[in-house]
Amino acid sequence: MLDAFLAGAHQVFAFDTLTYMLIGSVAGIIAAAIPGFTVTMAIILTLPLTFAMEPLQGVSVMLSVYVGGYTGGLISAALLGIPGTPSSVATTFDAFPMARKGEPGRALSLGIWASFFGTVISTIVLIVAAPPLALIAVKLGPWEYFALIVFALTIVASLVGNSLIRGLIAGVIGLGIATIGPDPMMGKSRLTFDTDLLMPGLPFLVVLIGIFAISQLLSEVEIHGKKTNQALIPDVIDFKTWKVMREVLMAPVNLFRSSMIGVLIGALPGAGGSIANLLAYDQAKRSSKNPEKFGEGCADGVVASEAGNSATAGGGLIPMIALGIPGSAVDAILMASLMVHGISVGPRLIMDHADLAYGMFIAMIVSSLMMLVVCVASMRLFLRVTDIPKQFIVPTVIICCVIGAFALNNRVTDLYLLGIIGLVGYGLKSLDYPLAPLVLGVILGPIAETNLRRALMSDPDWTTFFTRPISAILLAAALLSVIFSVRSILKMRKKNRPATDEQDGD
Amino acid sequence: MTVKVTEAAAADTGVSAASRARTELARLISYIVFGGVSVVLSSMAAGLPTSRWEPLGAGTFPKLVFALLAVLCLIAAVRSIIEIVRAGGLEGVGAAFTQWLYVRRVAIGLFVLFAVYLGVMPWTGFSLASFVFLLIAQLMIAGVSRRTVIQSIIAALIFSVGLNLLFAEVFNVFLPRGVLFAG
Repeated sequence: MLDAFLAGAHQVFAFDTLTYMLIGSVAGIIAAAIPGFTVTMAIILTLPLTFAMEPLQGVSVMLSVYVGGYTGGLISAALLGIPGTPSSVATTFDAFPMARKGEPGRALSLGIWASFFGTVISTIVLIVAAPPLALIAVKLGPWEYFALIVFALTIVASLVGNSLIRGLIAGVIGLGIATIGPDPMMGKSRLTFDTDLLMPGLPFLVVLIGIFAISQLLSEVEIHGKKTNQALIPDVIDFKTWKVMREVLMAPVNLFRSSMIGVLIGALPGAGGSIANLLAYDQAKRSSKNPEKFGEGCADGVVASEAGNSATAGGGLIPMIALGIPGSAVDAILMASLMVHGISVGPRLIMDHADLAYGMFIAMIVSSLMMLVVCVASMRLFLRVTDIPKQFIVPTVIICCVIGAFALNNRVTDLYLLGIIGLVGYGLKSLDYPLAPLVLGVILGPIAETNLRRALMSDPDWTTFFTRPISAILLAAALLSVIFSVRSILKMRKKNRPATDEQDGD
Repeated sequence: MTVKVTEAAAADTGVSAASRARTELARLISYIVFGGVSVVLSSMAAGLPTSRWEPLGAGTFPKLVFALLAVLCLIAAVRSIIEIVRAGGLEGVGAAFTQWLYVRRVAIGLFVLFAVYLGVMPWTGFSLASFVFLLIAQLMIAGVSRRTVIQSIIAALIFSVGLNLLFAEVFNVFLPRGVLFAG
């Protein structure tokens, strides 16, 4: 174990890796500081740059973008009242009023320190939880794995977006997309219509770039007839860095609780930073002695929301490293980047590539330190990022997406797929379909199919899925997640109906 | 005053009900499209030969997945129809669709430009196609003025030729050179 740890540390602490990570950290902060550009998109754009790197070096760079990105969203949330990423929605509740009250530097420093401590706490939990979970996971059979994927997809569909049925449809569309091309066990060609375009299947990363990035970029140039509330960034900002650090550490319960919420939410498939950000804020408000101060620039609100979203980074890696099930779209990209290098991610990762797994843990800690140093040293520069006009960003990022899609296989046909999938993604986004279940469906599809077929090759009896205890529990949990989701929707409708009826009656 | 408020509230409710119905119609169309495609793909998958070595062949999983998708789309479509009826029908669908297109005119224009860009890239190569795409896209979003034209030309040069050079020289990723310049 120590050998693997040192081998991982040796790779992460190499000069070129640290340099790339530093660039990644800056890039993540800048990308997420631009309103409308998510952490996911920043990671997608980093991906082609990592193809030529060693696996651990590439993943370390992506982790630095990931950690930096969660903090970057804070800048526009605090200063403009616009969440830079969906995972910083709750940050606007208190950081923006605090900035409006003349303390923009304090609001930013609080967020940065909370993000740092949140990431460190989540990494410690990751180091403690992932290896034993992986040891249990290797004992799982194909029945349990198939049930686990069904559970993951239903959870994602019920937690993400505004509609369970559209979430489920999106997830199943993802599974369907994954069936196009050669089948994962025998390589038999399926549903390709004998076209060269579909013959190799739909590459996951092309689907991901098209679905997330192209659709988001097209949405960015919609004109809704109203200007966003661009606020002026003050010229003089006092960050009070060390004073604020003490302030954050003086409220350890709030920091620890919010970080643990982030870890748990991050470990849950599909429930990423946006939910953790809101939930941690909500819990901080409920537990506060002065809940009325929340929403008016309360420091606890900023700490809770930022520690919550940043802690999902480590939490999300737990199911990915231990089970091979990505917790979010970002984890799916990290997983795919390892798969590009021929490394299969799953419970055997810690056993077969221990240096890589431990290297990832070290990279998380290094990334959070880099984020802290970069933010403290050069926050003033990043504040100007929010001024870059869309006309430069949108077309340039589209070009980066094209490079990313092409560089994967050097195939021009992948670019045509990118265009088609981007259009479909834009349509789905316009109709309020959640996109995360679709992407997870694409990456989990082949794993689900392989395990289903393996299970039935070992024992052709379908009822085995319900007689093996872990498999049965997971399938029951999947069913329960759907039932609870339907129940809460019905409850909400019932609550809303009398008001509507009253109005209609009038 | 109370009457005015009540009338305004009733008008708002009417507008939101009509808007809800129109959104549901758009979703209904998507359910029908996805449902129809999944029925076709499910039947295609069912036609794939079964395996001699395992109970499930290559076609079983896609058949199951697309059948499930068809069922989900059917449920969603029925719910949409109920919502539309409950909201009181579809008034002003044509006008709403025109408004929808109007709001997205730059996005649609950008996508058409993107499609042309991808289409011509194998012939013109990455640098030239990207330069033209970037230039037109930037002007499309920012509007045409002397300042934006100069800014767009500089940005287009950096992110077309510059990116091509960066990827070729630093990352050893060679982007399409184009049939016209492959000579």
